[in-house]
Amino acid sequence: MTTILDFIGFLVVLCPLVTLTIIGVTELFQHPMSERSISLLTKTNMVIGLLASLIVLASMLATGSRQFIVDCGNFGVLDEEHYHFHIKFLFDRLSIPMVIVSYVLVGVIGAFATKYLHNDSGFHRFFVVFAMFLLGLLVAFLAGTIETLFLGWELVGLSSALLIAYFHERVGPVRNGLWVWTIYRVADAAFLMAAVAMHHMIREGDFTGLMGSAPWPEGTSALSGWDALLVGSLLLVAAAGKSGLVPFSGWLPRAMEGPTPSSAVFYGALSIHLGAFLLLRMSPILDDSPFLRGMVITLGVTTAILAAIVSRVQSDVKSALAYASVCQVGIIVTEIGLGLWYLALVHMIGHAFLRSLQLLRAPNLLRDYKSLENAIGGRLAHGSFGVIERLPHRWQIATYRFALERGYTDALLLKLVVNPFLSFFKLLDRMESRWLQILSSDREKQ
Amino acid sequence: MAGELVWEQVARALEHGVHLLPAQGPIAVFVHHNTLHAFEHLPFEQAVVAGVDTYGAHPYWPESRYRNKVEWGRISVSDLEKELLEDLSESANEIVAPSTTRLQLRLAMMAHRLRIGPDAEIRWSIAETDAMKAFLPDVPASASNQMVHQVRHWMLREYTSTENVVDESLALVLIDLAEEFDFERRASWTDGTWTEFTLRFLYFICRKGASQVGHGEEQGPMPKRHRDAIRDSLHFDCDPSVNELLIRFLSSTLDQGLAQWHSVLSGEGLFHRFLSLYGKASDFVLGYLSPLREIVKREGHSSLTARESIVVSLAKMGIQEEQLDRFIESTLLSLPGWTSMVWQLETNAEWTPRPLPEGSLEELLAIRLLLDRASIDDAIRNRAPSAWRDALGENVEFARLVQLARELAPSSSQIATQQQRAFLLFQVAQRLAWNPLDLVSLSGAAWRNIVDELVQFNSMNRRRIYHAAYERHYREELLDAISEISKQSSADAPASSPRFQIITCIDDREESFRRHLEEIDPDIETLGAAGFFAVPMYFRSSTDAHYIPLCPVVIKPKHFVDEVAQVTHQEILKRRTEARRVLGKASHQIHLGSRSMLAGTLTAFAGSIASIPMVARVLAPRLTSKAKEFVGQVVKGGKSTTLCLERLPDDSVTGNGSTLQQGFTLSEMTDMVERLLGDIGLRTFAPLIVVLGHGSSSLNNPHESAYNCGACGGGRGGPNARAFAQMANDPRVRRNLADRGVRIPDEAWFLGAYHNTCNDQVEFWDLDRLPTTHQKLFWEIQEKIDQARERNAWERCRRFTSAKPEISPHEALRHVEERSEDLAQARPEYNHASNAACIVGRRSRTRGLFMDRRSFLTSYDPSLDNTDHDVLHRLLSAVIPVCAGISLEYFFSTIDNSVYGCGSKLPHNITGLLGVMEGAASDLRCGLSQQMVEIHEPMRIVFVIEATEEAFRSVMKRNAAIERLVTNEWIQVALLSPTSNELHLYHKGTFEPYVPSGRPLPTASSSGPWFHGWRGNVGFAKILPSHLEVRSSGASAKEPAQ
Repeated sequence: MTTILDFIGFLVVLCPLVTLTIIGVTELFQHPMSERSISLLTKTNMVIGLLASLIVLASMLATGSRQFIVDCGNFGVLDEEHYHFHIKFLFDRLSIPMVIVSYVLVGVIGAFATKYLHNDSGFHRFFVVFAMFLLGLLVAFLAGTIETLFLGWELVGLSSALLIAYFHERVGPVRNGLWVWTIYRVADAAFLMAAVAMHHMIREGDFTGLMGSAPWPEGTSALSGWDALLVGSLLLVAAAGKSGLVPFSGWLPRAMEGPTPSSAVFYGALSIHLGAFLLLRMSPILDDSPFLRGMVITLGVTTAILAAIVSRVQSDVKSALAYASVCQVGIIVTEIGLGLWYLALVHMIGHAFLRSLQLLRAPNLLRDYKSLENAIGGRLAHGSFGVIERLPHRWQIATYRFALERGYTDALLLKLVVNPFLSFFKLLDRMESRWLQILSSDREKQ
Repeated sequence: MAGELVWEQVARALEHGVHLLPAQGPIAVFVHHNTLHAFEHLPFEQAVVAGVDTYGAHPYWPESRYRNKVEWGRISVSDLEKELLEDLSESANEIVAPSTTRLQLRLAMMAHRLRIGPDAEIRWSIAETDAMKAFLPDVPASASNQMVHQVRHWMLREYTSTENVVDESLALVLIDLAEEFDFERRASWTDGTWTEFTLRFLYFICRKGASQVGHGEEQGPMPKRHRDAIRDSLHFDCDPSVNELLIRFLSSTLDQGLAQWHSVLSGEGLFHRFLSLYGKASDFVLGYLSPLREIVKREGHSSLTARESIVVSLAKMGIQEEQLDRFIESTLLSLPGWTSMVWQLETNAEWTPRPLPEGSLEELLAIRLLLDRASIDDAIRNRAPSAWRDALGENVEFARLVQLARELAPSSSQIATQQQRAFLLFQVAQRLAWNPLDLVSLSGAAWRNIVDELVQFNSMNRRRIYHAAYERHYREELLDAISEISKQSSADAPASSPRFQIITCIDDREESFRRHLEEIDPDIETLGAAGFFAVPMYFRSSTDAHYIPLCPVVIKPKHFVDEVAQVTHQEILKRRTEARRVLGKASHQIHLGSRSMLAGTLTAFAGSIASIPMVARVLAPRLTSKAKEFVGQVVKGGKSTTLCLERLPDDSVTGNGSTLQQGFTLSEMTDMVERLLGDIGLRTFAPLIVVLGHGSSSLNNPHESAYNCGACGGGRGGPNARAFAQMANDPRVRRNLADRGVRIPDEAWFLGAYHNTCNDQVEFWDLDRLPTTHQKLFWEIQEKIDQARERNAWERCRRFTSAKPEISPHEALRHVEERSEDLAQARPEYNHASNAACIVGRRSRTRGLFMDRRSFLTSYDPSLDNTDHDVLHRLLSAVIPVCAGISLEYFFSTIDNSVYGCGSKLPHNITGLLGVMEGAASDLRCGLSQQMVEIHEPMRIVFVIEATEEAFRSVMKRNAAIERLVTNEWIQVALLSPTSNELHLYHKGTFEPYVPSGRPLPTASSSGPWFHGWRGNVGFAKILPSHLEVRSSGASAKEPAQ
């Protein structure tokens, strides 16, 4: 029984992997599959994966167990260094809902994309990246060790950047894809440091080692207060990058360069929650450090307020929805900080569905507005912004500009991070060329 | 040096620049128009070249695409030859190279693939491909063998050693060759070696020849703006940072209601709105544009008007009068979509919630100039050599900047390098079998002639000829088919009195629908009229909030028409309206709330419910929409309505202008009915006449309006058909008509209907007014229309690759129904794609011709027209501009989809309810999307008009727009003689008799077997229903009546 269930649990992750391999390999060897077989393969695997995850859920409900682990053993071991790369999948109250949501949403979007991208020159490429995205998402949600989570996290990042730059014959998508990729790398770096720190502190990356073997969310952290603060704040940076929290929120509208529903839905509805998921997964750490908790809440509230203001003035439908998403993610993060974990989970799932539907229908906006106008029998009233409109005019203008410039988050990053970084490396470059000159002129003299 | 510019000069330049902007208004009303309307005063071929310079677009398809068409036989070599002959006229037969005429030379460059490309590619071709090992694949074996033989003969028999060769250039070639070939052992070379030797020999000679001509270098294009000079010299583009800021600013100020918090600055003009937002902003906010603050402060722009600011900016930028036109033009075109939207909102969009006041474009220009100056300053400060700063000072003068830029990076563009010419010569020489030994003896002057000849016939010229041949191929097929079909039909007398008549729009999409109806029942006569059916009106349905104009954009309607509930249903309707209002307000609140913070949280918690409609909509669109419709019936307006067509005596005038009236007077109605009947030449009336308006509905399609009826200004033509039928049935109107000599028999009944071209549904209106005597007839025509809907959907489905090729007519109808309800469908229908012709004349002349949904069909009976050809004039004044607009918009969007079109539909993002951007910050995209035009063949439309030359000339004389389109060859015109099957084709000012090629016109028993199973365009055919089939279908149709 357990072995069968183990296999079914493994199947949840295997399905997208199979899709990815088949489409990817045929494409690699110049024997691209037809659109029809790609869509059939994707759909079949999606259904099998969804069924598998439902079976796991059903068996867990039936047996009353709250945690189910599929252990794939060590992927790589370096004994002398005490290093091991452990792959382990964890089905629990947190991961199962997220996996089912991913399957439903990504499955629907897959069905959508087979029609929407029909006859597009990048159809194959899209479905390769699409399968990679789903694989990454599932691995991240189900991860039972921090290194597994990192693997999924990286796959999501890579596939997202590739999807944003889907129309690579134009400059805009490539530039914005690169921007998002850069921010993801910052988040990845923080994540990696956190993983290393965790390994250093508890000698393994397994979440059971970190939070005990009690099922989520009852675990207790094995870290001391200061360690928790260090790991926690690194993870918070990682989460902020992935979820578009302040100051990284500027990447989300840039991610709207891909094919409308598919990629937009991925960022607006799915991968934007990945950071919040990370915090949820690590939630026991929050108990250790009130300071960390305070940071999480502050970040969540700041993000929610900033995004709420910014989204008010966005005049294109995708940016407006993007900032609306950021705003909700900010609230979700706040909820996590307050310890309302189940609430955050429900909020996350509901929000993912709602935003997906809105983004899928985004190009229908003109029609929707017209039918609303016809129903109401006049022009649509504008939303007002009561709080701000009571301020003096000068302040209103400043707020408006703040919103129009998307909270200056990108300008801030450019000024504080990108430009110093660039000038530092330009300085190194100049020093190197000067050094080279000195060396070569020495030789000439000889 | 000219003095300071004054505003009047700028205004003139601005006026000139405005014409070049795209003319697409807010996207909710999409009107097809000629993309290059600004150049209509030029001949077509010059205009497309002007488009290259102005917009950086392609004039025609790339050569490779046409050559592909040559390979597939879509362009035949004889088409090319005919086009070349016509283009060259007398000079075609001049000898321009050894035993080669100009025609032969040019044909050799076009008939087969030419390898051309940059130097690196040519080097690669020589080193890595078999270019030097084998002759071009299209060179016949006899020619290549002969050439190898001649060289071999000479080498073995006459050549002794290089020192003995008298000709110096030949000796040099041989010295080069000796490095690669062992001359000593030449007697034992294999055939392969000889071929290679010959080819190398030929190539080296060609290289010598090409070197006789100096470098074809010319100075690069003169920069138009500061930005061009900076980009060319410093390799830094100033525009992106300016555009980014402007896009954010414009999209929020022009927004028509998408953002929840609209600009706090509304009330001021654009310029001052901009200054109060950004005029004093810090460096941190402005980034690369930080010099802006200083400029605004120094010159006090806040206290200037936009006009004054423009004059100041231009003076500081050192723009002289002679550069002004180009400067303003290219400044406006640096962000064409948004700039044109400002102009459209200023001049042409009084129907939008927030139009812009007059002078807004000037204000935008003032802003743009300030931003440009800021970005230029920044670039000079941070990126230019330090010497520039001292030379330029505070204000960057254009002339000085250009001079500095030239010194830094002298720009030049070469026409073709020597290597490219040599390789071209080499290929042509193979094709034309020029003997290398003859070529050696050519003088320098002779070489120069040949090279000039080649260089002159450059890619642009070749594409022009290719394109002309591409159009000729279709035109000749069309004219052959018409001359064939009209020969027979002019012999047959038209059916005496049809049982049914169906009046549709002239739209190309109705061609197949009409054809199928005619095939189903030979007793059906179909007619085509512009789809507003001569009833221009502002219409408001019982469920609409606003009046919409339903007529061609060139007409401004003068009447309002309301749809109201019938008296017995008014209570119900009122209740439903109230219910809809409440539901509408609620859903609007949810819509807004879902984007805010607190309400958003609430909606997000309930968000899981959203998964149900989403999954259902995507996986089963058709069923979901049926279910939705079922539920929606509770609040729907219902069909028991009527049109308030007639003006009531005590009706106060609504609307602001006194010229606008509520409803029509009796005489106005009579005029409209008389006019339409006269236009289409309807004199004998069937007992039941269906007037069929059309429109289209689709989801997730910002361009939905473009799919509707063009003659209704992007609206749906159903109400016009209904209004017309109601008028024509009015006994008082009929009495008035009888007084004017148009007698409609009492038993004739007009029935208004609406055809949805996307899901092929047909709805009938006012059926409860149908006399009981006509009920049986109605059941009969309804059944036939149902059959025609299936067949029409069937014919459309062959174009959709997502519908399987063996689909049945019944499945096809379900397929198209699903398409129109599918959120994921990027191609709900193909709209006017593939349109290529417009036929104006009696339907009987072309009835039975399969035209593959590519032709507009306008009914016109020349025998009923008066001697002044007033009817023809009236018809063509509407039909030619509308059809030419559609044809040319499709033409340009297909030729260069990324410049003239709006690119792929997939990343589109609706902005401000005005248009679409790609992603979250791009220019507004105008034109048609790649998905709309992917099956289109870009050709200028061919009008085939059943009229005499004298009649058509009189129309041209009276209508300047038509004359311009015809004489500048933006459209092709052929005249079909009203009395015979002779055709005359317009060519450079004269109507020349068209001589049919005489190829037989294929026949088919019905349309289905002819098109079924084929995805691409299907050629012309004559549909000859076998008598047996006609009888059986006739019998089955009559059965229910018995």
